[in-house]
Amino acid sequence: MSFIILIAAGLIVPIFYRNNIFIAKMIALIAFIVAAYFIYQGESLNSVFPYFVLDKATMLIEFALLATLAAVSLSLTGFERPLIAQMLFLAGVSLGLLETNNFFLFIVLFEVVAIISYILVANIRNFFNAEGAIKAFIAGAVASGIILLGFALFSFTTDSFNYAHMNINGKFPLIAVAIMLAGIFYKLTVVPMHGWAADAYSQVNHAAAAILSGVIKSVVLVATFKAFYKFMIAYPVATVLIFSFFAVITMTLANFMALFQKRVSKILAYSSIAHSGYALIPFAAAASVYSYAGILYYAIAYIFMQTSVFLILNDFRREAGVKYLQDLKGLGKRAPLHSLFFTIQIFSLAGIPLLAGFLAKAVAFYAGVDAGLWPIVLIAALNSALAVAYYAWIIKHLYFDEAKCNSTIKMSAGSLIGQLILLAGTIYFGIVAADVINSTVTF
Amino acid sequence: MVAVDIIFAPIFLSALVYFLTRGAQHITKYIALAWFVVLFIISLNWLNQIMHPESFAFAPDILQYIKSTGFLPLGEYLRVPAFGFSLTLQIDALSVAMLLLTSALLILVVFTSWEEKDQAAYFSLLILFSGPIFGVFMTTNVLWFFMFWELTLVPMLFLIGYWGTDDIEIKKVFNIEIKLPSKIYAAIKFFLYTHVFAMFMFIGFFLLFKQTGYWDFTLIKEASLATPALIWWLMFFGFAAKLPVFPFHTWLPDAHVQAPSSISVLLAGVLLKMGAYGLIRFTVELMPETTQHFAMWMVIFGLATTFFAGFLAIYEKHIKKMVAYSSISHMGLVVVAIATMSYDGLSAALYEMIGHALVISPLFLIAGWLHHKTHTWYMDEMGGIMKYAPYASTIFIIAGMAALGLPGTMGFIGELTIIISAVKSFGWWIAIIALAGMISAGYIIWAVRRAIHGEPSAIVQKASFHMSFPEKFGLAVFTFLIVYFGVNPQPIFDIANKAFSFFGGM
Repeated sequence: MSFIILIAAGLIVPIFYRNNIFIAKMIALIAFIVAAYFIYQGESLNSVFPYFVLDKATMLIEFALLATLAAVSLSLTGFERPLIAQMLFLAGVSLGLLETNNFFLFIVLFEVVAIISYILVANIRNFFNAEGAIKAFIAGAVASGIILLGFALFSFTTDSFNYAHMNINGKFPLIAVAIMLAGIFYKLTVVPMHGWAADAYSQVNHAAAAILSGVIKSVVLVATFKAFYKFMIAYPVATVLIFSFFAVITMTLANFMALFQKRVSKILAYSSIAHSGYALIPFAAAASVYSYAGILYYAIAYIFMQTSVFLILNDFRREAGVKYLQDLKGLGKRAPLHSLFFTIQIFSLAGIPLLAGFLAKAVAFYAGVDAGLWPIVLIAALNSALAVAYYAWIIKHLYFDEAKCNSTIKMSAGSLIGQLILLAGTIYFGIVAADVINSTVTF
Repeated sequence: MVAVDIIFAPIFLSALVYFLTRGAQHITKYIALAWFVVLFIISLNWLNQIMHPESFAFAPDILQYIKSTGFLPLGEYLRVPAFGFSLTLQIDALSVAMLLLTSALLILVVFTSWEEKDQAAYFSLLILFSGPIFGVFMTTNVLWFFMFWELTLVPMLFLIGYWGTDDIEIKKVFNIEIKLPSKIYAAIKFFLYTHVFAMFMFIGFFLLFKQTGYWDFTLIKEASLATPALIWWLMFFGFAAKLPVFPFHTWLPDAHVQAPSSISVLLAGVLLKMGAYGLIRFTVELMPETTQHFAMWMVIFGLATTFFAGFLAIYEKHIKKMVAYSSISHMGLVVVAIATMSYDGLSAALYEMIGHALVISPLFLIAGWLHHKTHTWYMDEMGGIMKYAPYASTIFIIAGMAALGLPGTMGFIGELTIIISAVKSFGWWIAIIALAGMISAGYIIWAVRRAIHGEPSAIVQKASFHMSFPEKFGLAVFTFLIVYFGVNPQPIFDIANKAFSFFGGM
């Protein structure tokens, strides 16, 4: 039901673009709320098709997803309005991707999400947007090709695509999984495959970047973990080696790259890549009972904080023309509300406690320690401490430097409500760990 | 319910306080003062309950719990059974001593920063700071302890970075000269340094839980640890950077010097105590056997800190840096006292922790105040201040005498008890720490000679030395406490007696 409502709303919304953006936003908001209600009742795609399962953990990330997309829809203005329909489509498809228990559907829906993301970045206004969009598109196409190659190989060797009944023995499935992971690592921006992301995230419209780096990445993380869980359990040595290696190089490289950037959006893009590195630790620790809790917590925390940060940057760019770090100077005084939200979410990204970013890291890293990978986790923890350097540098420009001009920047009502939703998510999941862990860990 | 409220209410309401009082800046400090007084009264009440558990006669199970563990239970919140995780609040005599010290210092800090700029933001941040710092001393859950520990850094980052001194520093990074206000360099260095070292502690805590299955340190048994040495060193690094112990101390002179004086008081009086508190809780109480094994390392670190920082203080001409090094030097003594692992040593450590907070605070305040009035940091350029500011000079001399251990002040009893307990535990050779007292006599007396006495310099003659009444009042309270507890140390040793009774106290 929820899927149908979201897609239907997505088809209706464009009618109101020209005349009344407010009605379009309200329709989207109602669609998100009704969809969340049906998910709460347990009636999502699973009530119509047999290939979908809705459990408590999936429900939780779906609520986070719908809340975030509602917040994004509310804060869109001006030429960004076509994104509203795409939010609704993306929500519908993401529900399918998160709920499916069938590998074939996983590949298909993964591609659909990818196509929606190309349409998102295709909202081109200038040369830089175009460069970002082309890079995202080409990298995505390459990734799709690689994934399909691996999937073709895999489909020869298995009798069933159901996650529980897949045939995973033999050489071919292992090679197939390795090839598919290489493609998925493009989407997760793991380090040798990260080049496109640094440009795409920082150069496309920031609202689209919020979706691309926050929402889509989180959804893909959880869906990939579910799809490959059986392989990771069956081949523990390969899993630990591959994921620990990529986790360490991803976070270390991205953090050092972020230290030397001058564009705010590029710092956030590299920080997003570094976060992919932290999120790979629960993959490496798949053997631990906390691994799924870790990945789910990371996705939920990340979806709120990363989206929020890019949305505020979007407001800053529109109202104050912020591009480089020095443009942030004195905004703490000129735009106190924006800066407060921005600061809290940046601290959450940096892993400061009582915010979702910390507990997510704590659970994800604990999964690593639980699986016996404490040296890897120590590297990750030191990396996340090092990352504070560039986050604190942003804060320094916001609050400690003098402003160039004194005009104040007001926050629009839609933006304020959107940010409040995201902030509520960040703080709630920063204090209450019970929801995520109770829904994933069973003894 | 009170317990969890006094931690979370300031964290969430401080932003509200800021936005409400932005228009009327002078109100914020009264709100802060009222809140800190409430905290002090609540802490006093808890002290009373712990010292006299008979008052719980109406609830036999609580009475039994206090008698068997020494902890007063304050409730358990936010349970996550599948992760064995919950916000367990319980306090014993040691935590209450720290809570009382914290709230008393916060009250005095409101007085001493009576005329600070941008008061709404400043006092809102102080209120914000009071939440996590209480949490650190109140929770027995290691993960929540870590969370509060880290959260204290955030208000400090802003307090140092925004209200710090106006010095400008030129740094060379890759041959590019960067002009950077020193306060920002100091604030970010402080944040990064303690954050990075806390990560070692973080992994240590994870290993604790992994190997025992409990997050609550009152339930963890040392015998069930598989790799006690690894965990001990990981945790020790975290606490050592906070204390700070010799090779990890470099953040402190920067942060203490660049912070406004009242914030230096909080840094020296409360944040360094977090390190000592953690050392007592997580090494001595939690892992006594491993600590016994590595006690000599702690002594070496402690002695190195004391002497290294002491010699640097003699060499230093910068008045506030001199005080900062003297502060590090005293914390070295605390580490030696903790390493004795005996009832006497720990009592001496607790006494010296409180004494250090009260003695070093007026020194920082006056050093900062002198800079504010004369616009110079260097003692060579001062001189003859006694003639122009007799009140501040007198208090500087009294606090300085306490720092060098003059009988009748807190410094004397602290150093004496530490030397006695160390000699008892380690033998006669450890009596060399008495030399630390001589070194501190050297730098304090020389500082007094250069800055307070002597001929008035041109800078001093031009400056106007006005001090507002609340600032004078704050300094007077510090002085009174130094002398009062120096003459009558029994109340603090009563608390220590309760806190360390498991080591065979009276």
